[in-house]
Amino acid sequence: MNSESHYENDRVAEFIHRHGFTRVALQFPDELLKDSMRVVKSLREKLNSLYVEDVKLYVMADTTYGSCCVDEVGASHVNANCVIHYGHTCLSQTSTLPALFIFGKASISVSKCVTNLRNCGERIGKPILVLYGLEYAHAIQEIKEALISDVLSLCGSTSGLEPLYADIRCSVIYPPETSNSANRLELVDREVANSLAKGTNTAYGIGGLTWSLPEGRKMDDYLVFWIGLDNPAFANVVLQFNSCEIVRYDATEDCLVTNLSQQKKILNRRYYLVEKAKDANIIGILVGTLGVAGYLNMIHRIKEMITRAGKKAYTFVMGRPNPAKLANFPECDVFVFVSCAQTALLDSKEFLAPVITPFEAMVALSRGSQWTGEYVIEFSDLIASCSFEVKKQSEEARFSFLKGGYVENLDPEDDDAVEKDEILALVNVTEKALRVRDNNSLSIKKANAKSGAEYFATRSYHGLEINGDNRSPETFLIGRSGRASGYDDEKTKQGTL
Amino acid sequence: MVKFTADELRRIMDYKHNIRNMSVIAHVDHGKSTLTDSLVAAAGIIAQEVAGDVRMTDTRADEAERGITIKSTGISLYYEMSDASLKSFKGERMGNEYLINLIDSPGHVDFSSEVTAALRITDGALVVVDCVEGVCVQTETVLRQALGERIRPVLTVNKMDRCFLELQVDGEEAYQTFQRVIENANVIMATYEDPLLGDVQVYPEKGTVAFSAGLHGWAFTLTNFAKMYASKFGVDESKMMERLWGENFFDPATKKWTTKNSGSPTCKRGFVQFCYEPIKQIINTCMNDQKDKLWPMLQKLGVVMKSDEKDLMGKALMKRVMQTWLPASTALLEMMIFHLPSPSTAQKYRVENLYEGPMDDAYANAIRNCDPDGPLMLYVSKMIPASDKGRFFAFGRVFSGRVSTGLKVRIMGPNYVPGEKKDLYVKSVQRTVIWMGKRQETVEDVPCGNTVALVGLDQYITKNATLTNEKEVDAHPIRAMKFSVSPVVRVAVQCKVASDLPKLVEGLKRLAKSDPMVVCSIEESGEHIIAGAGELHLEICLKDLQDDFMGGAEIIKSDPVVSFRETVLERSIRTVMSKSPNKHNRLYMEARPLEEGLAEAIDDGRIGPRDDPKVRSKILSEEFGWDKELAKKIWCFGPETTGPNMVVDMCKGVQYLNEIKDSVVAGFQWASKEGPLAEENMRGICFEVCDVVLHADAIHRGGGQVIPTARRVIYASHLTAKPRLLEPVYLVEIQAPEQALGGIYSVLNQKRGHVFEELQRPGTPLYNIKAYLPVVESFGFSSTLRAATSGQAFPQCVFDHWDMMSSDPLEAGSQAALLVTDIRKRKGLKEQMTPLSEFEDRL
Repeated sequence: MNSESHYENDRVAEFIHRHGFTRVALQFPDELLKDSMRVVKSLREKLNSLYVEDVKLYVMADTTYGSCCVDEVGASHVNANCVIHYGHTCLSQTSTLPALFIFGKASISVSKCVTNLRNCGERIGKPILVLYGLEYAHAIQEIKEALISDVLSLCGSTSGLEPLYADIRCSVIYPPETSNSANRLELVDREVANSLAKGTNTAYGIGGLTWSLPEGRKMDDYLVFWIGLDNPAFANVVLQFNSCEIVRYDATEDCLVTNLSQQKKILNRRYYLVEKAKDANIIGILVGTLGVAGYLNMIHRIKEMITRAGKKAYTFVMGRPNPAKLANFPECDVFVFVSCAQTALLDSKEFLAPVITPFEAMVALSRGSQWTGEYVIEFSDLIASCSFEVKKQSEEARFSFLKGGYVENLDPEDDDAVEKDEILALVNVTEKALRVRDNNSLSIKKANAKSGAEYFATRSYHGLEINGDNRSPETFLIGRSGRASGYDDEKTKQGTL
Repeated sequence: MVKFTADELRRIMDYKHNIRNMSVIAHVDHGKSTLTDSLVAAAGIIAQEVAGDVRMTDTRADEAERGITIKSTGISLYYEMSDASLKSFKGERMGNEYLINLIDSPGHVDFSSEVTAALRITDGALVVVDCVEGVCVQTETVLRQALGERIRPVLTVNKMDRCFLELQVDGEEAYQTFQRVIENANVIMATYEDPLLGDVQVYPEKGTVAFSAGLHGWAFTLTNFAKMYASKFGVDESKMMERLWGENFFDPATKKWTTKNSGSPTCKRGFVQFCYEPIKQIINTCMNDQKDKLWPMLQKLGVVMKSDEKDLMGKALMKRVMQTWLPASTALLEMMIFHLPSPSTAQKYRVENLYEGPMDDAYANAIRNCDPDGPLMLYVSKMIPASDKGRFFAFGRVFSGRVSTGLKVRIMGPNYVPGEKKDLYVKSVQRTVIWMGKRQETVEDVPCGNTVALVGLDQYITKNATLTNEKEVDAHPIRAMKFSVSPVVRVAVQCKVASDLPKLVEGLKRLAKSDPMVVCSIEESGEHIIAGAGELHLEICLKDLQDDFMGGAEIIKSDPVVSFRETVLERSIRTVMSKSPNKHNRLYMEARPLEEGLAEAIDDGRIGPRDDPKVRSKILSEEFGWDKELAKKIWCFGPETTGPNMVVDMCKGVQYLNEIKDSVVAGFQWASKEGPLAEENMRGICFEVCDVVLHADAIHRGGGQVIPTARRVIYASHLTAKPRLLEPVYLVEIQAPEQALGGIYSVLNQKRGHVFEELQRPGTPLYNIKAYLPVVESFGFSSTLRAATSGQAFPQCVFDHWDMMSSDPLEAGSQAALLVTDIRKRKGLKEQMTPLSEFEDRL
């Protein structure tokens, strides 16, 4: 496929021109970076042909967080007033900049896809809901038409099989506060979506796709037919609609994948992580996005919930998390990763402490709440769906499935307790001062630390000991020399071995 | 029908000298519940005629169905003794009324925790031994437990009827059998003797051994016969008792007592002559329906039969006659009242075992004196599911003070530490209840020395707790119980309908509460796991879970899952090295197996993280041949900081080593919990830190760099040290007649078990077989064995040790490798193990 149509340069140029943007950031994911120069060159030509002269184009890559989100912080470094996002995206709402999304166009054989779709529908006999990766959005119209004609030619009527197709919410996203004043044209899309939602039908949305079911139907009644790769977007669909039957059509391999047990296992695993989070005393909040709308709100709410549950929260901003980064904070028993929906699921096997999503944190932190199998990934849904009410806690000891028994729950710090604590604080301090320091037990109990300070106190190493026993100056020592990959003394040792 | 009321019971509760708290303990199928029946019958709760068949204390449907006791059941009984029978009682008493709080316990080894819970709240134990099968493995276990709790035992040799009807042995042979049974029991008791408890051995001539036939409801102690003959011979009762046991012979021809068999054919042992033979005679006459002979005999004995009973025939007649002549309840009650301690006696010496706090504080004194006006000390030993689903009675024993309806109590849980707020609740008791068989009676209050069930505290008590008055803030809790079995058999459960998950979770919580031995946990893969002591135990738990705690919602259970351990066979073939993610830090390590017995020593807590380093290094150097200096360099134990693996520092002169210690420990805790083979726990491995190279800048050698590296290098050293799997092994004890041996051997062979001991029980056709059997193979073992021996063999399995599997899990296709693949598949891991190259780096 040629790059002109693939990157839709005409549309981009027209968009820039129409809105009169002067500083435009072009955001490429790593795998498309190689095309960036060609795109810029061609865009420049297009803009020139539209007589737009003073537009500055900036290429952005290597985003701090997931490349599916709009890197608003990066864009504001160059004072850009809009972002053109290329490649796979999560279509999360931006918070300050308008963004145009170019999904790209992956190749697909329409006829083969239609055949699979039809066979599948005939075999299962449920109504079908077609969801797809955004890169296949361009082919959906074709598939629709092809399917109708196909079914017509085979059985003469379309009544038997008429799948429901999801729509793309929009390919342009405005930050909430500017959307009112902005050009009306692009808003049409969203209004359509809104009006649908307002009807009696139930509207659903995930990862930029929206659809609404006719009245009286539930999601469980449908067979979800996913066109696209096995990527995070698909994983989200599987998680969120875990009670639906789901098949995946892989367009590159041209095959139908019906065995999704591996994906289903994810849900069980997430359930385990929730149980683990219930046992946590110290929770780290990882900021995994600085762009997705509502992220600050989300962080505040989670922090509030954590404190109300009597646990300690610390907030970390560290870009994309990896095991080495997180292991620098071994005091955290669990991390809550606040990020866009498609980067939220981190397989935490390699991590010292599990990483969970805000939804999971909410299930874990509100006592008495039970996981019934529903799963919410996107913040907007989460904030809407959950009242954040903290019920009057029952005093029964909490059952921990990790320890396999009842454990005593930490006191939520109500005012009463705090007051008492203050009164007792002095007593406690003096008591501790008198206690004989048991050096052996220092490295023993990690699980009981309730705050970072407490954890630090139980470590055997507290930093440099300035008041060491030996005050006399040390003798002069010759240090190591050489490179980190193998110092000089090591090389010789290795040789003699 | 019932001969007493709750009010009567309540009244005697105040007479602390007239209370006996006792449990009935024995090997499975030796007749505990049946014997208990006759006691219950004597109290009038069930009819005398059906005693022995009802098994009153088996209250659950499945208990009745299987014919075994599953849960221990408490029952309070009231007796009024006659003045005559109490004549020789020397201890303190208040009137003739007695209250017996009796707990019938299960004999199957899977339910040993129930026995533990029962023993804690009783002061005496009636040990029941089958006269033919003798002292079995579970008899020994429960006796040991009892003596550990300072419970005074009395013995009854049960199933006497088998001697007369089944085996038809002659008197001398029977005597030898009984003598052996008693001797065997005494040997065990002597082993676990406790100076404070004094001599706990049992002697028939002192009246601490009874002979009973639970099924037929009769029993006697030598006292019965001694009384009868004392007047006849004109000797003292106690003198007569001595003559009725041991090396005392009587020749009716010469009418002389001798201490040796004179050889004359009429000379017989006192016991045989005066106890065994008369009984045998009566039984034989009854069985042969020689009624014309019977009536005069009975008249001589002073036994009066009702007219309608005279029409009975054969066995029924025999049962009735024996019950009237030698009622089980009289003999047993007398034995219990005379020889088992009252709470006020028992608590004097039990207080040290019970109370955790100082022995001279108000609480210890109140317990010691069994003071009803002292502060409340109540130990809840188990939670009993109530009839309304989801609620529990807290069942326990009042050691001092009194508990009453509406009283506000301090609930100190198992994790309570005096002075802290952890695991502590203050709540009011809604109702106090006493147990009368299948019925519960509410009473106003219960004073010390009694067992009691409390309503309204179940939310705050998890398994067990100590209760005291609200204001007694300085009370220490009563020591937690130690269980002799551990949960090794596990199944994964899930609900059939996904939306039942909350029900399942709730059910598992309730299950965990109802049984202290069950562990409900969750696997990494998100599966719920129920762990129990054995197959039978699990089966019962699953049934309870589904029917009682989940309201019948359907569950799917997996095949039993056995957990393995990962270990090493040799020292690592080389020192392995791993680099940190930033490549600036290097850790060098070697793994080696721990010395034999060391892992067990750590399990037992003889060596642990909290030891004094000097003591530890002494043990290590003397028993395990460690270098004294090295023993001081143990960094930590793991997993969970107490497990049977360790990290030892072998570095010399390395800079910043103290800085990374915490990180290495954290990495080790993580790695030792999930080994490299199948993510099972590690066991018996010592990791030696040989060398470390660290970045000069502190930020580059932080936890983030070192923790993952420590984990990797531990895996690498493990994999280079000939990794092996350990599997759990049961000790199986089987008792069976000779003709069943062939079947037993073939089943054991087929199940990879091996016999290491085979003994014939002297005087019986029974063989005692001890064998090791891998837990993995044990599922369905009992039923296979029963089938192969036509029901003659019944195994008792107890977890014994971990056994190394000889095959190499790294060699594709080997048995261990297949096992590893299976486990990984079940856990949802990649089927292939991560190769060594992922963990080890090269310079």
